[in-house]
This record gives sequence, C-alpha cells and structure tokens, in this order.
Amino acid sequence: MASVTYPQTFETPATPTTLKLAKREQAMIGAHIIAALVALMFGIFMGPFQTFHRSPTFVQYFPTIPVFTFYYQAVTAHGVMNALFFTTFFIIGFCYFVVERSLQRPIKSTPMGWAAFASMALGLVFMLFVLLTMPQQSAVLYTFYPPMIAPALFYIGLVLLALGSWLASANIFLTYRDWKREHPNERVPLAVFAILVNFIVWCVATIGVALEIVFMLLPASLGILRVTDPQLARTLFWFFGHPLVYFWLLPAYVSWYTMLPRQAGGKLFSEPLARVAFIMFVVFSVPVGVHHQFSDPGISASSKGIQTLLTLIVSIPSFMTAFNVGAALENAARNRGAKTLFDWPFKQKWNDPVVAAQLSGMLLFIAGGFSGLINASAQLNATIHNTSWVPAHFHQTLGGGVTLTYIGILYWLLPAIRGRALFSKKAALAQVFTWLIGMTLFGLAMGEAGLQGVPRRALTSQAPYLTPAGAFWMDVTAVSGVILLISSILLYVNIIGTLFFSRQPMPAADVPIETVSGDRTSPLWFERWGIWLGILGILLLISYGPVIAEVLDFQEGWNILRFMPTSNAPMP
Amino acid sequence: MEINKLERYWLIAVGITLGAFTAATILAVTVFGIRLPAPVERIDPQRLEQTIFANPGVRKIADNRYEAVIVARSWAFDAGPEAGNPAVLRFPRGSQVTFYVTSKDVMHGFQIEKHTLNLELVPGQIARATANFNRPGTYHIICNHYCGAGHQVMYGVIIVE
Repeated sequence: MASVTYPQTFETPATPTTLKLAKREQAMIGAHIIAALVALMFGIFMGPFQTFHRSPTFVQYFPTIPVFTFYYQAVTAHGVMNALFFTTFFIIGFCYFVVERSLQRPIKSTPMGWAAFASMALGLVFMLFVLLTMPQQSAVLYTFYPPMIAPALFYIGLVLLALGSWLASANIFLTYRDWKREHPNERVPLAVFAILVNFIVWCVATIGVALEIVFMLLPASLGILRVTDPQLARTLFWFFGHPLVYFWLLPAYVSWYTMLPRQAGGKLFSEPLARVAFIMFVVFSVPVGVHHQFSDPGISASSKGIQTLLTLIVSIPSFMTAFNVGAALENAARNRGAKTLFDWPFKQKWNDPVVAAQLSGMLLFIAGGFSGLINASAQLNATIHNTSWVPAHFHQTLGGGVTLTYIGILYWLLPAIRGRALFSKKAALAQVFTWLIGMTLFGLAMGEAGLQGVPRRALTSQAPYLTPAGAFWMDVTAVSGVILLISSILLYVNIIGTLFFSRQPMPAADVPIETVSGDRTSPLWFERWGIWLGILGILLLISYGPVIAEVLDFQEGWNILRFMPTSNAPMP
Repeated sequence: MEINKLERYWLIAVGITLGAFTAATILAVTVFGIRLPAPVERIDPQRLEQTIFANPGVRKIADNRYEAVIVARSWAFDAGPEAGNPAVLRFPRGSQVTFYVTSKDVMHGFQIEKHTLNLELVPGQIARATANFNRPGTYHIICNHYCGAGHQVMYGVIIVE
C-alpha cells in the first residue's frame, strides 16, 4: 500500500522550504482540487448573470442576457455546483492533504481513495448532464423539495456524491485509527482533530438527506412511489442542510486556526480553547436544522423554540474562534511593529494574496454571522424568511468567509500540487479585493431588498409586485454582479495560468502544516469520540424526536406508513 | 486546563450577548404573544373539495374580524371567483384577519408585504396565521418559495381601506 515513504522528520515549520509532493499524493489531491474547480466553474459564472436577470434596469437595456435563458436552471446549477459539488471535492482533497502531511503517513487505502473519487466524479458528470440537457425538469434548486421531482439522474448524481464522501470519510477515520494505535498517549495535531470533527458531523448529517433521497425522492422520480410527504422530506433535508454549512466552514477554520497564524507571522492564542470550540461543533451543529423551518405549518412552536436556543449555542464556538484567531492576528501584527490598540488590523500582510483572501473572508463572515443570529431568532425570522435577506446572509458566510478562505488555500495549494509558482500574484490580489467589494455590495443590496419584502429565488425583473425600492436594490446587485464577474474571470485566469503557463519554480514557501502533537495542556479525553457522539445522540433525541413525531403526526396511531397515503401530494 | 483571564472575559461577553437574544425570544413569546405557525390539521391535497378549501374566499365572522381561506397553486392564490386572478382582497382599516392557506400542488410561500406574516405552504398541511391591518394601503401577497417557471408572477393583493 505505502509506495511512498515519508521522511521520519518533516522540516520544522520555522524554516521555509519548498514542499515536494509525492507522485501519489500529487495525483490524488490534485484530482480532487481539479474536479472542485470544474464544478466551481459551472457554478460561479452563473451567479453574475442571475443578478443581471433579476435587475429591471439591466433587462431593459440588455433584453437578451447571454449564457442561459431559463433563469431557474441557472439558480439550480449555481447552488448545486457551488454548494454541493465544489465544496465536497475541495474539502476532501484539502483534508487528505492536511491529514497526510500532519500525521506524516499516507491515507489508509489508495484504492479506496480512488474509488471514492470515481463515485463522486461520476456523480458530477451525471449532475452536469441533467442540468445542462433538461433545464426545466431539473430546475428543482439545490434544496430539491418535493413534490417537485427532478429526473432520476439528478438524485443518482447526489447519491454518488454522498457515497464517495462516505468512503473518503472512512479512509480518514481509518488513517487516524492507525496513527492513534502507534501514538496512544499523544494528542492528535489540532488540524486533524478539526478534520475528524468535520467528517463526523458530515456522516451524521448526511443520514437525513440519504433517507430522503433513497426512500422518497428517487423512487418517486422513477415512478415507483406515487406519494411523498413534503413536510417529512423538508425536515429530513434540513437535518442535513444546516450541518452542511459547518462541513463547509470547518475546513476554513482549520486554515484559520492552524495555518493562518503562521502565514500571518504570529501564533495561535490557545490550542485547548480551539479544541473546545471544535468539540462544541460535534455536539451542537447537527440538532439545529429546524431553524430553517420556522414558518413550516407542520412543526410545533415549542420544537421551534428549543431549536432557536440550540442554534444560539452553536454560535458560541464561532465567537470563540473570533477571539482566538483574532488574538493570533493581533500577535502577528505586534511582531510586525503594531503599537496602538487599533492599528493591528492594518498591519497585516494585506499584500499577500494567501493572507488577504482569508482576512477578507473573515470580514464578510462577521457580517454573515450576525445576520445569521437574526435568522435564528424565531420571531425575527418571520420578517426575513425566504426573502433575499437569506441569500445575502449565506453569500456573506459561504460566498465570503468560506469561499475566500478556500481561494486563499488554493493560492498556495495549487502551486504546491503543480510544483510551479502562482501565475500572477497581482491578479490574485485584484481577485481577492474585487471579491470582497463585490460580495459586500451584494450582501448589502440583497439584505436591504429582503427587508423591503423582495423574495429570494424569484426572477424579480418580471415580477409584477416589485416595488421601486426593491427594483433599486436589484439594480445594485447587478452592479455587484459585474464586479464579481471580473473577480471570477481573474480567478480562472490565475488557475489556468498556474496549471499550464507558469514557468517559475515554486518559491521556497512555508507550507503551513502542523506536524507536532497538540499542546500538552489539552486533556487527552478530548479524543474520546464515543463521549461526544453519545451526547450528540441524546441531543438529537431531544431536539428531533418531537419534531419527527409531529411531522409524522403520530396521534392517529403509530403506523409509520400511515403518512404516505394520507398526506400525499400529486407529482406535477 | 487553565482558562486565561481574557478568554474568561470574552466568554462572559458572549454569554451576555446570547442571553439577550434568548431573553428577546422568550419575551416575544410570553409578553408580546408572537406566535409561530404550528400544526393545525393534515389534509389530502388531492381531495381539497372535502375540506374547508372547497370554497375559498373571505368570510366575516365578527366586527372587524375575518377569515380568509386561500388555496395556492401554480401560479395563483385562489381566494374564490369574487377575488379574481390575481386575487384582490379588501378589508376595512383595523381588521383582524385569520388566514387559512394550503397548497394543492407544490410548495409555495405566503408572505404579506410590510407584515410579519410569512408562511411556508406545504402540501398536506394547513397553514394558519393572523394579521392585523391598521394602516390603509395596498399590500402584496408574495409567493416567496420557488414553485416552477411562473414563480415570479404568482401574487395577490390586499387593499386596506
């Protein structure tokens, strides 16, 4: 299995060295990153054209907008490609890299790694095929609520993606188990600790959507089932849908906690605090999905109240992160000569695209975090539920904090995979700042429009109810779309340039991988995963038990199949 | 494990922030009586003619109190033949209206402009909510949940006189 021999000792982090990837590593991780970039390409360029389509002024002057004609096809492709395929491929590739380098051993099984990749890649091909060839039937958006049913290939693509991701998770868990056997009394490096948390959350959360797809949507799409229960399907979807955002976020946190401090020239404030934050994510990130369903008729107000409180708790680890990473950045700036109370944000390496991307991502993420607290408050939610406030929120978090951090990672990982320098550092910096400006403007305009009552996911330029204020903010989002289009083009110019045209060898760079075991002050029982899974199980029973009972409407008897014929809905 | 002094201060600040949000939530429910949609009854969306949705429309139940029964379908809010399409509902100023809404096909949304009334319409479920109309004006009922190619033209109008 281990055709690669890893050196006994890796270079200490303090001495910058050129990272040489083993051939096997290069192929495996490179394949995931390239597949992620292919998915992102189909997703990312849809975004700006959607903003043009929604803007009444833009549509008036440019009645034919290129690239696509059916608006909701683009919304679906944008969501499915960016949120499901790009993230999953990128996260798995990046996590393999961190686990291998951090634990100084290859992942458990290379054939299993390639089988996982093949499954996900086939899923990507199926999904692209169905999205591009069947624009109307496949436009069910990335939340695919029944009774709207897509062609079977849509669901098969998703199933293959999930299967592959489970295999990849198993590979990572087994690699950790082998390492742990050899190092029984050592703390696993923080980065791997966080990655284990991430894949635990992912494996628990995907159970919900897997049940929904395998037992409800796919049989309905194939014509085997004539009925679905939309309320149950929505509940299963959001069981998965909210933890999904932590699956995106935690790899970004891996970078912020274990890489950015060194990239910025400082050190992390507290490692045990970081581990506490990650443990809180295992326990609290799954039982909160109902906060997406505050307006659903089939769930009681008391269940919604419990989930509001749990959602507020899950913001605590993010507050801890703000403190811990903020202190690391302050430390970095003090090392660079910052003296006064407030000059440290300005004394960061804003001219280094790797750092600038992550810092810009954080700025957006702070705004997104606070708008998220508003969403999570059950009563405030009624004013903004399903309005364009919601996409404003998740573009600040996912499109800002997460994606910009991934791009920051990409700016060192892609050269490391290719063995060549980044094509253009200036283009990378221009990309980061146009993204920051564009996304800030987008978030502001969509948020304001949402407060004016503009709905999300609607072709507003054709909507008879659009008010002048709503129209104005939709026009502003089109401006942000232009800026983000420029940023996206710069991103892909740099990616293609780095892959094919960069002639410079990779500079001696500090690839920020932590190989030493954790801080001695963090307790070893933090790694007793059974405890955390047990607590999670109990919390899931408390938070989801009553919800599932309400949704299935158990009062009229406990026959679990009863819901199927009586609460059905016709397939359109 | 030691907890640093700054860490402790920060955790206290976070606790206060979240405590405030929690208190606001509890106050909203207990003191201000803001209610979220809750289960009413399950129905078969293919047999709406056997339910209250057989005859959609507005009914006066007391002084200034109304009941509006509305069926959402792709792509209209059906509030009876009198209301027309797009449905136009008229209420005098100061009315309190309880809406009973359901969907007969896919998921729809029911959001009243400049109100906090915002419902997911799930086939098989009755959504119920009450709104007060104290200021005269024209308010749109917007479908804010994607329901197919004509989603953007699905709306209704409430006129408060």
